Amino acid sequence: MATIEQTTEVGGPPAQGTPGHDAHATSTGVTNTKLAMWLFLSSDCLFFGAFIASYLLYRGRDVSGPGPRDLFDIPFTSATSFILLMSSLTMVLALAAIQRGDHRRVRIWILATALLGATFIGGQVFEFTEFSREGLNVSTNLFGSSFYILTGFHGAHVTIGIIWLLSLWGMSVRGRLPTKKAESVEIAGLYWHFVDVVWIIIFTVIYLVPQPH
Amino acid sequence: MSEGTLQRVEDDLAIAARGELGHALEPAPGLLPGEERPHPSPFKYVVIAVVLCVITAIEVGTSYLDGDVPDGLLVFLLMAMALLKFVGVAGWYMHLQTDKPIFRRFFILGCVAAVILYTIVLATLSVFAA
Repeated sequence: MATIEQTTEVGGPPAQGTPGHDAHATSTGVTNTKLAMWLFLSSDCLFFGAFIASYLLYRGRDVSGPGPRDLFDIPFTSATSFILLMSSLTMVLALAAIQRGDHRRVRIWILATALLGATFIGGQVFEFTEFSREGLNVSTNLFGSSFYILTGFHGAHVTIGIIWLLSLWGMSVRGRLPTKKAESVEIAGLYWHFVDVVWIIIFTVIYLVPQPH
Repeated sequence: MSEGTLQRVEDDLAIAARGELGHALEPAPGLLPGEERPHPSPFKYVVIAVVLCVITAIEVGTSYLDGDVPDGLLVFLLMAMALLKFVGVAGWYMHLQTDKPIFRRFFILGCVAAVILYTIVLATLSVFAA
């Protein structure tokens, strides 16, 4: 009957016997918040998959307006991709710091992650502005529509992540992010890393894969 | 003194007692809910970041081979490197390697469902034939 791992009894001790963490007894042996975040990320794969598929569907079918070959600045986008990749490093370092109880470093790494994310968004705004100046808008052609929608939604995810990180930073400054709440940082980190892995795919599929001649 | 301030003072004293530099590269002592094995150490995180940067650099360099190598081979190489980076971040930074398998199963389910669904959609619309 038991298809789900029953690691703790209802009302029994926490799923993990580690002192200092808010682990609640659940029938799956994992906390509901973390499980919910993974379920959300799993569904978000389908969300971004739809936009990537739309981009591939319309790729090379433009009849007017500038195309990817006229607009993309690969060195610039590579630099912003590198920045986002590094923000994943600072995010895991924040998690490692809170697990050690090193709250000063938690604040430093969380702020660094938010700043790197903001730099990435700044790069995206600059890129969008340049493309618009070159004559590519959402309604210019199929490339414009699919490109702005996909990268725009990704940018919106990053922006939400930055707000989330800044709220964690604020909590930490006020002393409301003790070591026992390390899972809050981990869940924010899961979201942040997901945004990073989505960009890994977007960067390759949109910018690096050869454009149709 | 508020409870938050007391907690901060307590944490700072604990950090000071351990020594500021001595513990900087130590692995985290406690397990988080859902963890099976301890997360990698900060040093390992840095090593993974370096590897990811190197792969990204190779990936960008490979993209400049456009026209010199067949498009099919180029797409295969670029996608393989992107997949490697994806697995690296999901496996180590998102801790799918060390957390309970239930998270891995959920995430793989979403990824595989997305790939299968949209491959069918694109194949139906003859995108690959074009």
